[in-house]
Amino acid sequence: MTQILAMRLNALGLLAISIVLLFAFSDQLIYGDLPCPLCILQRAGLIAAGFGLALNMRFGPRPSHYGLMIIGALAAGIVARRQVLLHIVPGTGSYGDMFFGLHFYTWMVIVSTLIILGTAGMLLFDRQFADDHEERPLAGWMLASFALFGFLALANGVSTVLECAGGLCPDNPTGYLLLQ
Amino acid sequence: MMSIPFFLFAGALAAVFIGKRNIAIGLWALSVVVMLVLFRLHATDQLNIGL
Repeated sequence: MTQILAMRLNALGLLAISIVLLFAFSDQLIYGDLPCPLCILQRAGLIAAGFGLALNMRFGPRPSHYGLMIIGALAAGIVARRQVLLHIVPGTGSYGDMFFGLHFYTWMVIVSTLIILGTAGMLLFDRQFADDHEERPLAGWMLASFALFGFLALANGVSTVLECAGGLCPDNPTGYLLLQ
Repeated sequence: MMSIPFFLFAGALAAVFIGKRNIAIGLWALSVVVMLVLFRLHATDQLNIGL
């Protein structure tokens, strides 16, 4: 796998993560399904994983960038697993909407596992690391993918400020604290 | 407080964009630490499961 092909695949991966974040955001904005504290932390973990992809796109693929992705996906997965365990016993309730029969936090366990699997798959191709690590200015659809991801990171920050103000978020949020 | 990781990540991405790799990774590491501290503050209930 050439360096440029690896960078394009990384850009596609970043787009996929942005689509997951957009989906969560649209559920929040359209259906009023406010994210709980653990949900917010799962979004942050997803952005932490996507950061490795952004590094690969800008500085060329490096094993260390893939390592950051795995750490981010593990962090998101740990938070999601905690939330799954909170509700795993029948009758202990749940949080938020379902998608194809699974709650969002269960999907996050699947997504974080897929990110780790995909990263491991990419690490199998050594030739991508053999080329010179020249900085490449982002352009075209790769720049658009990067910009969308950056916008979503910032938008999630603004949304969290509106929902939780300056402190810790309530366990079961009922509205945006700063808009009440 | 829970918005801090997102703003740090946004800062890290801005550093990536302008080519400052080390600063970007430093901001990323800081955000992950903040995220884990926030997780610790929220994961207070004991899980009612047998392991």
